[in-house]
Amino acid sequence: MPFLQSLMDEYDLFAPAQLAEGVSVYKKIDQTEEVDLSISNAQKPAKEIFFPQSETMFRYEKAGKESRITSTEEIKRNRILLGARPCDIQAFSLIDHVFAGKEYTDTYYVNKRKATTIIGMGCDHPLSTCFCSSLNGGPFQREGSDLFLIDLGESYLVELLTEKGMAFQKNKFFEEANEKEISLAKGVEGKAAEKIKAAIPVEGIEKRLDQMMESPYWDRVQEKCLGCRVCTYLCPTCHCFDIMDEARTNKGRRVRNWDSCLSSLYSQETSGHNPRPTNRERTRQRLMHKFNYFPKNFDRIACVGCGRCTLYCPAHFDIRQTIKEIQEGGDK
Amino acid sequence: MVNGTKSSWEPRILAFLCNWCSYAGADLAGTSRIQYPPNIRVIRVPCSGRINPLFILKALQNGIDGVLISGCHPGDCHYLTGNYVGRRKSVTMRRFLQYLGVEEGRVQFSWVSAAEGTKFSQVVEEVTQDIKKLGPAKQFVKLED
Amino acid sequence: MEQTHKAIQDSIREKAKELLSSKKVDVIVGFGEGTLPLRATPIFIRSQEEADRLIWNSYCENNLATYLYKLSQFKVGLVVKGCDARSVIALSREKRFKHDQLYLIGVPCQRMVDRRKVKKAVKGEILRVGEQGDEITVEGEDFKKVLKRDDFLYPSCQVCIHRTPAKADVLVGNPAEESPLVEVHPDVKDFEKMSPEERWRYFEKEAGRCIRCYACREACPMCYCTECFVDSSNPKWIDKGLSPSDVDFYHIVRAYHQSGRCSGCGACERACPMEIKLTYLTQKLNQDVKELFGFETGVDPDASPPLSTYDIEDRQEFIK
Repeated sequence: MPFLQSLMDEYDLFAPAQLAEGVSVYKKIDQTEEVDLSISNAQKPAKEIFFPQSETMFRYEKAGKESRITSTEEIKRNRILLGARPCDIQAFSLIDHVFAGKEYTDTYYVNKRKATTIIGMGCDHPLSTCFCSSLNGGPFQREGSDLFLIDLGESYLVELLTEKGMAFQKNKFFEEANEKEISLAKGVEGKAAEKIKAAIPVEGIEKRLDQMMESPYWDRVQEKCLGCRVCTYLCPTCHCFDIMDEARTNKGRRVRNWDSCLSSLYSQETSGHNPRPTNRERTRQRLMHKFNYFPKNFDRIACVGCGRCTLYCPAHFDIRQTIKEIQEGGDK
Repeated sequence: MVNGTKSSWEPRILAFLCNWCSYAGADLAGTSRIQYPPNIRVIRVPCSGRINPLFILKALQNGIDGVLISGCHPGDCHYLTGNYVGRRKSVTMRRFLQYLGVEEGRVQFSWVSAAEGTKFSQVVEEVTQDIKKLGPAKQFVKLED
Repeated sequence: MEQTHKAIQDSIREKAKELLSSKKVDVIVGFGEGTLPLRATPIFIRSQEEADRLIWNSYCENNLATYLYKLSQFKVGLVVKGCDARSVIALSREKRFKHDQLYLIGVPCQRMVDRRKVKKAVKGEILRVGEQGDEITVEGEDFKKVLKRDDFLYPSCQVCIHRTPAKADVLVGNPAEESPLVEVHPDVKDFEKMSPEERWRYFEKEAGRCIRCYACREACPMCYCTECFVDSSNPKWIDKGLSPSDVDFYHIVRAYHQSGRCSGCGACERACPMEIKLTYLTQKLNQDVKELFGFETGVDPDASPPLSTYDIEDRQEFIK
């Protein structure tokens, strides 16, 4: 596609790409054929673009008495994230609180964020597991996107929303939209909004959970959970990480890798004590973090309703059901 | 790690030798002044049964071009049965690596007794030649990111 | 098919009620209705009233033996298929539970439906599923398709020989016909057809999708180590990132640690969010252990684990 090629000529392009049938990730595109905008959402969330699963923080090398440290903070080329869905984009604003907050900023994250133009894409076929509308989101939410694409079938309607977006005004692959196209886009948007039928009751869940810390409900929640961590790795708002050094004689690097609070090792202390010794404490912590602690710290629920945890949990956990049960006090 | 061009490349081979037989055999080769290729680096272990098959993978990951595991002949193990168990681990890991497409000859096994200084040098000679023919190990090596 | 399933379902419920009322077990681990089509979910029943939540259908794919480690202080009534029972036997050989602690409710398995394959056979989200005879009907917003059940079974189910759980305390259905013995697992056979270079490339391609979530490990009943080798920091076998060398190492060693233990249930493949193929690795090791040492996985609970024992006559033609 010439448009994609033109983007790649000027930027590093990140977009959804299929790794195998039915399995997609957001990755740096090397060839335009890789881009696949037809999938509803990639398995791995778009947060990877700003917060990679495995990231080198710096490299070091010792040569005799000298040592050299090479920073990896700089972003050499501007980037474009194409085809991210509104749920993933909303998640960026949540993770911003952690990595680009007022007091603490993470250079690696912030540099990537600043250098990236986000071309969001509306969901014309939300899945039955999507519940973004219940969490201040929606299949066509524009917030967080610099440009916004709406699939009209034969073409895309592009909305230029921010200053970064306006830089594309004179792009040779764009032409002015006509009335028909704009109304067609409105139709697509209207239909999609209707499709999200699930209204998941999150109102007041923070206060509910305040009272449930020692509830026997958590014994039941953790029963079928395998502690397998798939939910945390595919969640657009999860952001835990582990920093380690990989060293080989005189050189090495410091790496940041995704980690998960569902691992027993995650909270293990050097003394051997583990404040979250069993699956019960860990599953409780996950739900509390998303629906109680994060709202306490940042006034936002750390969930965007993308549904990945429900779709990919091997034990078929359904977060929508869990939320409902919590709102009912945890009894059944 | 590759040193120089292909023609001057010398493989690095890790040899796990059991203390009571193979290591003593290697020692005998030394005291007898028998020449053998200097490509091997020896790690002495109490028994060939101590070898964790993960050692092989770890060695390949670190850029070692070949692995030799050597123990006492069956029936002669200092711990009576260690080499038998080691034999089972060896055969299963060897087959598995072969199945995955790891070049045959990268990982080799031998029985060398304390009296077999000559045999040890022959084994090392053979293994070194085999690895030289295969070239540097590339499949498993952990590359710099 | 649905009649067979209903009959099994009723039997499971009846048995569960009986076991709970006589206090023979503290908890029944079985399957309940999922909230999405093509899915069932593991449930834990502790009272007779709840027992009617137990179901049986073509989506009861989890290996419930993996929950046993969490329930060691209870008497458990476990619903098992053929493969799950093999895992239980393997666990029993490794002395993971006391004999009077476990009551096996054996279900002769009719093979499970591969929900991912079904999803790929249609365009659009599946909203409703029905089963009639040997057909599955899937419906979405703008489609309705009829599929032959036999074409959409899990690969692990297609080659399963012993579908009737061995050593079950009770069988809640008629024993399933034993499938013919396959000398070589088809996945292994296909893989062996390739040249060594092709095989390595295939392995790297599959493992290349790995995100180190360890869902495969957690879904597997045989992976119960309190400290897995990947978490060991002394010695540190592998690093935690996505370096291909580390990921390959993980897959090779996890498969290797299943030698003679893996029941071939396929729970690992189903748990994997990136749909990585894994049985071609574990089944090769099972096969080797059978060929070399005469050890068959999941059959004899009293047989010694193959890699912690030996035979003086073991093969050694590869040793110089």
